[in-house]
Amino acid sequence: MNKGNILQGPMGLGLAVVSAIVALAAFGYAFMDLSAVGHRSFNTSSQIPWGQPIATYLYFALASSGLGMIAALSLVFGFKQFLPIAKRAIFLSFVILISGMAVLAMELGHVFRMLWVIPLNMQIESAMFWMGVFYVADLIFLLWKFQKMEGREWDSKTSKQIGIASFLAVLLASGNLALIFGMMSMRPFWFDGLMPIYFYLTAVASGLAAVVFFTYLAYGFNRDAMPERTRAMFEGPMGKLFAAVLGGTVLFIAVRAVTGLYTNNPEISVVWRDFLFASPVYQASLWLGIVAPFVIMLVKGLRSNPSMQVLVSMAVFAGLFAERYFFVVGGQVVPLFRGTWEWGLIQYTPSLTEWALTIMGSAMLFALYAAGERFLNLSDMPAEPAPEGATAAA
Amino acid sequence: MTKWGMVIDLDKCTGCQACTTACAMENNTLPGENWQDVLYYSEGSYPTAKLTWLPRPCMQCENPSCVAVCPTRATYKDMDAGGIVFVDWNKCIGCKYCMIACPYGVRFYADEKPVVEPDVRDVFPGTGQLHAPPYQGPHDDAVRGIGIQPKGVVSKCTFCYHKVSQAPAGVADLDEDNPETKEFTPACVRTCPPKARYFGDLDNPESEVNRLIADQRGVRLKDHTGNRPQVYYLGSGADVPAYQPPKKS
Repeated sequence: MNKGNILQGPMGLGLAVVSAIVALAAFGYAFMDLSAVGHRSFNTSSQIPWGQPIATYLYFALASSGLGMIAALSLVFGFKQFLPIAKRAIFLSFVILISGMAVLAMELGHVFRMLWVIPLNMQIESAMFWMGVFYVADLIFLLWKFQKMEGREWDSKTSKQIGIASFLAVLLASGNLALIFGMMSMRPFWFDGLMPIYFYLTAVASGLAAVVFFTYLAYGFNRDAMPERTRAMFEGPMGKLFAAVLGGTVLFIAVRAVTGLYTNNPEISVVWRDFLFASPVYQASLWLGIVAPFVIMLVKGLRSNPSMQVLVSMAVFAGLFAERYFFVVGGQVVPLFRGTWEWGLIQYTPSLTEWALTIMGSAMLFALYAAGERFLNLSDMPAEPAPEGATAAA
Repeated sequence: MTKWGMVIDLDKCTGCQACTTACAMENNTLPGENWQDVLYYSEGSYPTAKLTWLPRPCMQCENPSCVAVCPTRATYKDMDAGGIVFVDWNKCIGCKYCMIACPYGVRFYADEKPVVEPDVRDVFPGTGQLHAPPYQGPHDDAVRGIGIQPKGVVSKCTFCYHKVSQAPAGVADLDEDNPETKEFTPACVRTCPPKARYFGDLDNPESEVNRLIADQRGVRLKDHTGNRPQVYYLGSGADVPAYQPPKKS
């Protein structure tokens, strides 16, 4: 089944080693900087306390949730066409969350203190408390589900129950993550009760980008080398699902932009006008990273094309990363009080240390993923989906 | 129960920043930590241009949005301490969520201290109090965020609790002109040259702060947020203008 998987050979080992070296080098650089001058090595400030490391964590955490939802398509909702990527999605979901948490750990002031202070103080009023609870639950269920898959327990009652629990944990975790921003009425750019829906949609979009890219990577970007059912999935439903999810994302960004630009409230309209749309990077990420991929996926002749699928997955990767960055920073660029120190929008550009953390997280993801492909059978799937009639009879 | 409040008369305030300096000296704040600051605004254009300014301490809100968001209960409102909002530096993990949730921008994270540094006591051995950093106030209290901000935590104005807490029980006002309360008055209030600041018990009907709020129609900043500050402003200038981007030249 896995003959075409190039990452199960020396390539996988090579990718894992190179990525691990990059991750370690980036970690070393960031750690040296933090050791020398503390978090002053970040370009964040008391005016913009959350910068690119938080955006990176957000991106990784949501991509993880998106992958969990994609796995649930086949494992919970019975869309058997997506079974060929279920195990890979669960594994990717786990390692991408670990990578995101590693970035977050470097951003916090006291990461080890967190381990005992949060459980001992039980501040259940804080959305961040629940983020910790739900993402830990998410990690546990993902690992448990993966362990069941490793044991080839695809259809046992326990396996199904864990799959459902995992899906619920994913929904709660990412929805709650959205509320961390969405409940902040003093930051009108974020304040939105529908933020969880926006996060769910964009989470699935980034999850799809991840699973498409990494599956192609495993087979050397050669679809013919894929197992029959995996190939069928990419030729058929995957493109349509990608198109639908990207369409929803475009729609959501559009309505947020329209309402944002329409309002007189400068804390929203100025952000859209002078920070997001005035930035060539945002423009490029929106049009090339989200809208163009949507258009490509809409065209029947293109959405099944392997090169286009890889291209779209990479474009969406970049587009959604920028989307997270501009979302996180955009909520803070309008000074709470325009005064002596801040006449215009607050300026923020990530420092090299902050970039090092983003690179560290990304390289860590590649290293863990390549190791997973090398040592675990991520392409595994049940031999044949049971015919509907047989299941009903049983 | 005492509920400490501050009244700032903007018609008297000259924007001299003496309060900012006194706060920094009293509390040993680090560069970048402005527990007390005066913000300047220029509004309008000729012939109606005006320059206004706004002294801004922590509002010690009655319903503080920073408290509920803190995942570790490091930020808390202490009703036994006159309703002052503190940060427990032993619990703060430096997630900075409270800084996001504060509508007034009066929380600070000045993490300049390296992870690794020599212990000053080893470098300069000796006897007596040789703490690192060398200066340590006699009232330092990490549980209330009083002292020099350690690495990796958020800091904020404490209404000079180390002074206020020593005041005689039941006192209505802490006034720098009253010899009996002078030493217990917050540094920014005590130092204010035009006497634009008043400090007292909002729960005491006899207090000067209550009289001023009632007689001169004291207002609270950004009252629409529902945070209900314990700091009131008098006079013109408390109507902080909405943000507008500077005109491009």
